Amino acid sequence: MKALITGAANGLGRAMTDQLLDAGHEVWAVDRDTDALDALAIKSRGSCRVILADLANPNSIQRLMRDVKDVKFDLVVLNAGISATGRFEEIPGAAYQKLIAINLTAPLVLASGLMHQDNMAPKSQMVFISSLSHAVGYPGASVYAATKDALAIYAKSVRKPFKKRGVGVTAVFPGPIRTEHAERYSPKDAKANKRMLPEDMAKLILKAASKGKKELYAGKGAGAAKFFGKLAPNMMSKMMRKVIFDKLDSNTY
Amino acid sequence: MARRILKSRNILITGATDGLGFELAKAYASRGHRVVATGRQLLTNDLDFFGSPNIAYIRADQSEPEAAARAIAQAMEKFEWESIDLAILNAATGWTGHPAEETPEEIQRQITINLTAPVLIAKAIAPLLFAAQGQLTMIGSTAVKGQAQFATYAATKAGLDGFVRSLREEWRNKAHVQIIHPGPTRTKMHAKAGLKTGMVRMFFMPTKRAVKAIQRSIRNRDNKRILSRTYGWSSVFSSAKEGEL
Repeated sequence: MKALITGAANGLGRAMTDQLLDAGHEVWAVDRDTDALDALAIKSRGSCRVILADLANPNSIQRLMRDVKDVKFDLVVLNAGISATGRFEEIPGAAYQKLIAINLTAPLVLASGLMHQDNMAPKSQMVFISSLSHAVGYPGASVYAATKDALAIYAKSVRKPFKKRGVGVTAVFPGPIRTEHAERYSPKDAKANKRMLPEDMAKLILKAASKGKKELYAGKGAGAAKFFGKLAPNMMSKMMRKVIFDKLDSNTY
Repeated sequence: MARRILKSRNILITGATDGLGFELAKAYASRGHRVVATGRQLLTNDLDFFGSPNIAYIRADQSEPEAAARAIAQAMEKFEWESIDLAILNAATGWTGHPAEETPEEIQRQITINLTAPVLIAKAIAPLLFAAQGQLTMIGSTAVKGQAQFATYAATKAGLDGFVRSLREEWRNKAHVQIIHPGPTRTKMHAKAGLKTGMVRMFFMPTKRAVKAIQRSIRNRDNKRILSRTYGWSSVFSSAKEGEL
């Protein structure tokens, strides 16, 4: 099987990449972290093609599209993402532009481009990594939440038209994961043991993708969060404010 | 309309050269409110264009979101507005077709105009909104639930919806943040997005009624309002009382 994973060098993307490589699949690993990509290339001894790309940069995305022009992927995981947490009005505009470029524009351009360029193998699967914030809101990261909601709805919108061309779409809503990324953006007293290990999350995502599932809510309390988020959305975001926004003592972007 | 108004308010409306934004600007101006209207056109004569001395126009092209936010902030200074009572961020653009045919430029353009720009504008006017404990009203779309033929457009509106939901909590006690999702309205939006509506257009909500419904939802300070047909009809006879927006 051939897989393309963005944000593959660290965290959840890395866990998915490792698991696919261990199972003997070929992975095209996209990231902007040169050192981590090097480590990945050395470790995999050739079964992993590393692609250095800055997904905030449209030219870099176009270069990536040219690099994979003749490949037919069985699995694409649009995973790369960043965040910005703190008081909305205090975070620089440039940080928001970068956040929207990486979390939203890049996956949409890649999804549409890979379909247009006929990069998807028959019966392949495209996976969008949204966030559990889609269910509960995320005061203290309102623009991050915006990009993840947008991604969720894009996945929902393209599900039928992509299916007609033989490509399944999975939207994933992961709860908190124990990665460096997550820790950087969280309140300082947030407990690490309440977060799922990236390896466990990766396993669930790859399983959902292989089964062609439409949606996956995964992580500790994700099921309950989804349920109550739909039942009482305002109450949930109020609670999110208490557990996150009120505890953030600095802006991180 | 010679209706007595207790207090004239400061209202910012983006995307006001056409459609809902244009009608909203005129409706609020006719009640004596001060309106700053934005758009990407170069207008030579604001008064001729809007027909009201209460409306001042500034050019803010949202395809350059930072410049647009800056232009709005500078205009507020120029007009010596120390607060904004109501900001209606309405400007948006669309594209229709198969999602695999949407070019990178088209995707980028819609995200920039429909999501990045309102985010940066909200940030730029935050202090003025706080000063009046004002209201930030985002105009979304019923496409917010997903639409195969306008995948990116729907995504940008879902983005605004999520932005509003989280920001409302953040800004509690500082300013009210709401989103209103109009359904298909008889504006030029569809033609501009490359969609031929034909006879179906008959079933779209007339612009004037949609404006009434939006004004009602703004007055009621709804958190989130989907402009259903019923809501539209029942808004026809709803109007502001003294001191209300």
